[in-house]
Amino acid sequence: MASSDPTSPSPAARPLSPHLSIYRFTLTMAMSIAHRITGVGLYVGTLLLAWFLLAASMDAAAFAHFAGFIQSFFGRLILFGFTWALFHHLLGGVRHLIMDAGYGMNEPEREQLAQATLIGGLVLTLVVWAIGYAVR
Amino acid sequence: MSETEKSMRSPLRRASYLGSARRGSQDVWLTHVTAAALIVLASGFVLMLLTLLSKDYNGVRAELGHPLPALLTLLFALVAIFHMHLGMRSIILDYVDGHAREWALIANICFAGAVALACAYAVLRIGFV
Repeated sequence: MASSDPTSPSPAARPLSPHLSIYRFTLTMAMSIAHRITGVGLYVGTLLLAWFLLAASMDAAAFAHFAGFIQSFFGRLILFGFTWALFHHLLGGVRHLIMDAGYGMNEPEREQLAQATLIGGLVLTLVVWAIGYAVR
Repeated sequence: MSETEKSMRSPLRRASYLGSARRGSQDVWLTHVTAAALIVLASGFVLMLLTLLSKDYNGVRAELGHPLPALLTLLFALVAIFHMHLGMRSIILDYVDGHAREWALIANICFAGAVALACAYAVLRIGFV
């Protein structure tokens, strides 16, 4: 809370709820923060989408500039990361929709769902890139 | 609590506007609806991008100039950007306080709005210019 909180004129020493550092590491917890981090990555990554579309809308020189970047090693690295973030976040979203519907919250299922999201995101990324290299 | 006894403000006045804004469930619902739509739209967009890989500038423009790919791109970009705006909004509300929160929320709207406008403008320009 900000120090301007009108309900606490003099900050008293109150017990705080335990924070992240006190909990044992679990996969579901890592998947939760990974969902946010991939979301932020995709947020920034929309600049790449806007650049691609704007370059295609302008002229051949602008498009060649974009193509040169995305085909460079650094560009491919970013696009690979973007692809993974997209599929990880997409499957994470499906997982959240399943859990919000009330399923998959118990002991074996929630771990399996988390593992399926993690592995599925990597597999889909590799499949799409394999197809990409095959058709280009 | 001695401060409280001296104050002339009523307990209701002190508590007002400190709790939930009662609109949080709307953001969650919109996030879910756009997420469900994006399962289809993002998959479709990735498949379309795969067909663009073998094409040059003119080929990409010709493909994006067709109604279906153009509509798919527009829908994907606008729904995805609205979804990411909601997600960043909840991150800001979780981690940022005070005036920084207000600026962060404004910056979020500006970024999402600018990217959405750029994408929409580009797709329409490819189709109509």
